[in-house]
Amino acid sequence: MKFGKRLKNQVQETLPDWRDKYLSYKELKKLVRLISSAPPFSYGSTEYGNAEAEFVRLLNSEIDKFNTFFMEQEEDFIIRHEELKQRIQKVIDTLGPSGSQPSEAAYKDEMRKIRKNIVNFHGEMVLLENYSNINYTGLAKILKKYDKRTGGLLRLPFIQKVLEQPFFITDLVSKLVKQCEYMIDTIFPVEEEEIMKERRESITVAGEGIFRNTIAALMTMQEIRRGSSTHSHFSLPPLNLPDSDLIQSFQLNSPIPIV
Amino acid sequence: MSFSNGLSYIVFITGTFKFVTSVCVTGNGFIHCLCSSVLGASQLCNFRVSEAMSSSFPVLPTTVDERHPNLLFSFQVSLEREMMRNPASQQASSLSPGSRSVGPMLSSSSRFSNDTHVSSVSAQGRQSHNSPFISQSLRNKEDFTPTHDSRSEVQSTEFIAYSDENKDLSWSVDSLLDFAENAPAQISQVESSAGVFASEDHANRTDWQEWADQLISADDDLEPNWSEILNDVNKTDSRQKELKPSPNISVQQPPIHQHQTAHSGEVCAVANPLSPAPPTKPRMRWTPELHEAFVEAVSQLGGSERATPKGVLKLMNVESLTIYHVKSHLQLVSSFLNFRSTELLDINQTHLLVTLTDFPFFSDIMQFTKHNCVFSGTSEKKMSPIEEIKSLDLKASMGITEALRLQMEVQKRLHEQLEIQRNLQLRIEEQGRYLQEMFEKQRKREDDKSKAPPSSLDDPSLLQAKLEQSSTNNKLEASELDIVKTSNESALLEESSPSISRKQKAPEERNDQVLDQIEEVSSPEPTKRPRRDESAELSTGAASN
Repeated sequence: MKFGKRLKNQVQETLPDWRDKYLSYKELKKLVRLISSAPPFSYGSTEYGNAEAEFVRLLNSEIDKFNTFFMEQEEDFIIRHEELKQRIQKVIDTLGPSGSQPSEAAYKDEMRKIRKNIVNFHGEMVLLENYSNINYTGLAKILKKYDKRTGGLLRLPFIQKVLEQPFFITDLVSKLVKQCEYMIDTIFPVEEEEIMKERRESITVAGEGIFRNTIAALMTMQEIRRGSSTHSHFSLPPLNLPDSDLIQSFQLNSPIPIV
Repeated sequence: MSFSNGLSYIVFITGTFKFVTSVCVTGNGFIHCLCSSVLGASQLCNFRVSEAMSSSFPVLPTTVDERHPNLLFSFQVSLEREMMRNPASQQASSLSPGSRSVGPMLSSSSRFSNDTHVSSVSAQGRQSHNSPFISQSLRNKEDFTPTHDSRSEVQSTEFIAYSDENKDLSWSVDSLLDFAENAPAQISQVESSAGVFASEDHANRTDWQEWADQLISADDDLEPNWSEILNDVNKTDSRQKELKPSPNISVQQPPIHQHQTAHSGEVCAVANPLSPAPPTKPRMRWTPELHEAFVEAVSQLGGSERATPKGVLKLMNVESLTIYHVKSHLQLVSSFLNFRSTELLDINQTHLLVTLTDFPFFSDIMQFTKHNCVFSGTSEKKMSPIEEIKSLDLKASMGITEALRLQMEVQKRLHEQLEIQRNLQLRIEEQGRYLQEMFEKQRKREDDKSKAPPSSLDDPSLLQAKLEQSSTNNKLEASELDIVKTSNESALLEESSPSISRKQKAPEERNDQVLDQIEEVSSPEPTKRPRRDESAELSTGAASN
């Protein structure tokens, strides 16, 4: 149940809109159990066949769910990306040093906001990648369970199909992520004075829990890949994050009253 | 452009809280290395490599994994040698278009093998080696004698091997065959370093030798000696440690030259650090002691602006710490650390709200997080209220810029890891599929053969066929029902799967290509009997999976 638990944690930590978009791992597990406890197919009972059909049906509908959500988000990201670029261009053109109404303060202000937006945008995209991946992992696991419990051969062909699904093909998102990184790097070269003067403001923990979610995702990934008893050549090697302790220390504790 | 400047920096003196200046990252290397790692880690060799980065990739990605450098190095070169020695050496040229992607793929295979017991190599009757040995031999390429070659072959076997030693050789075959794969593969983190990125950069680079050269001539620091034992012991150590360091580590003494003791502390943490040449699966962990030493070193060098990774590395003087570790850590830490002494902060929203006049040190935070059992992953001890209060949301203690930078850092890491993971998953499944097909081809061949009169039992292929047959029979017996079920399943799959496969053709084509080339390469292999046997076993295992 380890993965199930981890998935649950992830879902809890995730952006609120996404909560119901994740794999219904528990449901599928129940079905597998049902199938394996139902009388064998050859005896002509319909129970088994029904359970199996239900399982496959649920799998497919989950995949559809993923695909829909993923593609929606992708489109959204593309649009936001464009908007961001335009916005940056506009700011540079108007408030920038060579713009129509140069104003350093306003420019910096806008840029700060933009920067925050880029970082959050980047984060959301990475989280979508994570979403894709964790759902894939869940599918792979549940299929393995199915094969194991029922002696079926569903896993291999099914997973091959999954690999081709839109939700698993994260190339576009990945590209956007890289572009974001590039954007941030070029637009925001660090200036020392700026930082020195920068006042401490009250920091909201990275908008809408993205940072929190990212940390959770990394930790979850590490946990999931921590060698298990059923480690096989189909398993991923353990994740090696040398700074994982540091990263984990970012995990936030429960609210504590002001001293 | 420098990554982050002007961050406060701590000098750690045991027991007291004090801040001096910032640790920060200087120089242009870091972002580049980050991004290049991200680029490298993904399949996006085509993706604006030059656009995003300066053309030179001088440094390594942030995440450091030193067991890999050696694996990759040795693997690549040893495989290269393998290729050259193979009668099918003409394959090398035919595969060379994919050579760009091979290295990374090898590294991914080597990642696979992380869990391998090196003893499996010795079980094959050859001497087991630690990867440092190999990479050392790689350093002096001209010293690469035939004996080295044989060992390197072992190494390649070893690296690809899985914990089941029977599968070792067969997997090595598979990995060799992976060369054929044209799919861009991920580069495992660190190790490949400049060489690989450079080769990514020059997408047309087809010369194995050149590539290996680059890797070898890359930073010489890629020689960690962390053993898995060290790591594991550290883990258990830290579990027992709680607040105070393990008795082995005499570190928490007076301040100043902690790095020395930290060094010995690190090594002492292991019962027998490096003595009986333990299987090297080096794993880098930034323990509090190590970090103290790190902070100390940076401060001694005059703070963030002046401290160079190389200098820090030198000052820390910790054996088997490479410059990449330092760089990577410096980067993450610098986004993380930002102090001004008596600022009060409010953190609103759902999380911590802490105001403090003193900020705990990073290492104290490590201590606190140890309480939350960062190392062991389970919560062992409850923190006292004071400690809880001190364990603050560090991100909130920073300025917005730093906070954003930190966030970006973490996100980049996650992205990187996801890419790698995804590629691994793809590869796993492709392997599985390939094996399945091979298995089925064997069966077909077996069926064909059974029509012809059986030749002598010494015929290796027949022997193997027999092996296959017996396993096939077993499989059939066990799963007669499955045939019916499977056909039903596939029917269900076909009809009720309305999923849109956008890029369906591409992966399929790619897979076909893979298979074709695998066919090519596999034909000159009949002499390698043991491997085939194992591959039979393996495909059985895979098929029944």
